[in-house]
Amino acid sequence: MRIDRLELLNYRNYESLDLAFSPEINVFIGENAQGKTNIMESLYVLSMAKSHRASNDKELIRWETDYGKIKADVYRKYGKLPLEITLSKKGKSAKVNHLEQRRLSDYIGQLNVVMFAPEDLNLVKGSPQVRRRFIDMEIGQISPLYLHDLLTYQKLLKQRNHILKQNYGKKIVDDVMFDVYTEQFIEAAVKIIRKRYQFMDLLQKWAEPIHQGISRGLEQLQIRYQPISGLQPEWTSKEMASFLEQKLAEVRKRELERGLTLVGPHRDELQFFVNGYDVQTYGSQGQQRTTALSLKLAEIELIKQEVGEAPVLLLDDVLSELDDYRQSHLLNTIKGSVQTFVTTTSVEGIQHETIQSARLFEVSQGTVKE
Amino acid sequence: MHYPEPISKLMESFMKLPGIGPKTAARLAFFVLGMKEDTVLDFAKALVDAKRNLSFCSNCGHITDVDPCHICQDPQRDRTTICVVQDPKDVIAMEKMRDYTGLYHVLQGAISPMDGIGPEDINVPSLLRRLQDEEVAELILATNPTIEGEATAMYISRLVKPSGIKTTRIAHGLPVGGDLEYADEVTLSKALEGRREL
Ligand SMILES: Nc1ncnc2c1ncn2[C@@H]1O[C@H](COP(=O)(O)OP(=O)(O)OP(=O)(O)O)[C@@H](O)[C@H]1O
Ligand SMILES: [Mg+2]
Ligand SMILES: [Zn+2]
Repeated sequence: MRIDRLELLNYRNYESLDLAFSPEINVFIGENAQGKTNIMESLYVLSMAKSHRASNDKELIRWETDYGKIKADVYRKYGKLPLEITLSKKGKSAKVNHLEQRRLSDYIGQLNVVMFAPEDLNLVKGSPQVRRRFIDMEIGQISPLYLHDLLTYQKLLKQRNHILKQNYGKKIVDDVMFDVYTEQFIEAAVKIIRKRYQFMDLLQKWAEPIHQGISRGLEQLQIRYQPISGLQPEWTSKEMASFLEQKLAEVRKRELERGLTLVGPHRDELQFFVNGYDVQTYGSQGQQRTTALSLKLAEIELIKQEVGEAPVLLLDDVLSELDDYRQSHLLNTIKGSVQTFVTTTSVEGIQHETIQSARLFEVSQGTVKE
Repeated sequence: MHYPEPISKLMESFMKLPGIGPKTAARLAFFVLGMKEDTVLDFAKALVDAKRNLSFCSNCGHITDVDPCHICQDPQRDRTTICVVQDPKDVIAMEKMRDYTGLYHVLQGAISPMDGIGPEDINVPSLLRRLQDEEVAELILATNPTIEGEATAMYISRLVKPSGIKTTRIAHGLPVGGDLEYADEVTLSKALEGRREL
């Protein structure tokens, strides 16, 4: 898939913008704080209906205006697909082919993007929350149903925590109600865990050879998805459910003391090992970077396979950070098959060959010149 | 923009209605200004009458102008089946379908701990009383297919289980996460056919 044209209206520091893109590589060059990441972000929002860096949609609307808009002509193998996101102080709406979508889960999945930004180096180093977010966003893109299940899970978690809080430090008063919510919670938890296992398996399959390539055959990458300890991936849903039930019963007293649900996929962990060592603890910066890059490249392959079309790749400020060898590895992987958007403050760190074939855009204070 | 006080007050009232923002409220307010005085008076009276003359059925909780409501009073109705719904609008949707001949019980909501709504805050106690006093053979749980609607149905079915009354949950021919009132009549009647025992 590819994006042919992007229009922004009152988005971040763009009052209005209308750009046509190359189906191959597009490079945005500009000083700091000129609006390069804002363009990448707008493409991400177009895909996920959510920013990769802002927690509040209101931040995306240009200051002192009431609403912002992102419009694009996306091409997929069956033809043109206009997408549109409108952001207002009250909320957002999304259109596919000019038709308003009632649920965001109907919208997400129309355009797939893989974003690689400096923050992604945190994927390995950062808190477990960062990795859970990564899993959720990636599965969500290829399976909107997962997003729906995730929302259900989060809501049930909230309901269950409320019951625990209401009965703080005591015994549950209405245990029928608590059981009913716990049973639903477990059912939703199992769905999430199974989907995550499935996804991590695929990711592992793609990431391993890619990592080997980038590390010139020296490193073996292993991804380990660790939900509740003791749980086995080959179990049936029923077995997983009764295991969770048992684990929850074991911690019931502590849950009541803390007013919190202590077992479930909201506490899942994801670990990366290189040649058997935990990269988070023992990996060098270069290894952490390579791991993050392998994961991103694996995502491209995974989406290609699951969706049947390559995603759009967004490289924000990272290309010039990679050494020549990793750069050419990356560029060879995407060559001719993945539409790519790159931002950089200068073209110096980037291979000459890439720049020659790319469409270049100059970004300066909310305006873009080709 | 600054409006004269009577207009801004009227706009404020319109904005209390669902789905009406300041722009629509202004449009409606100015439209009212152009209406005949009689029409405006009728309008105001209709609003007040609806509020004053309608109340909730003391038996089933449905909205009504007589008590018990027309459905509860109807001798043709099958009194051994009660369909439990969240909202009076759901009764109206089911009645449009004309397939169902039993009675209703309107909960006026669903159990939601995070909103502070427990079973006693909706019409669950009155339902349990009815099950004790009336000759009920089957309870159809037609709460919304949302998390809270689902939990409420499960909750009721657990409380009722020891009594031996059959409880069925309306099958989800309904859109996931949607409200019953949005379901068109065909899906609704399909859903009713395929109800499963809890
Ligand atoms: N809602 C908004 N309305 C107007 N301007 C905004 C808004 N949000 C951010 N900006 C402006 O956008 C600019 C930042 O843009 P962006 O993050 O795209 O920079 P960049 O070109 O990627 O810079 P760097 O090279 O440092 O990453 C800042 O000048 C900021 O003041
Ligand atoms: Mg930037
Ligand atoms: Zn009645």
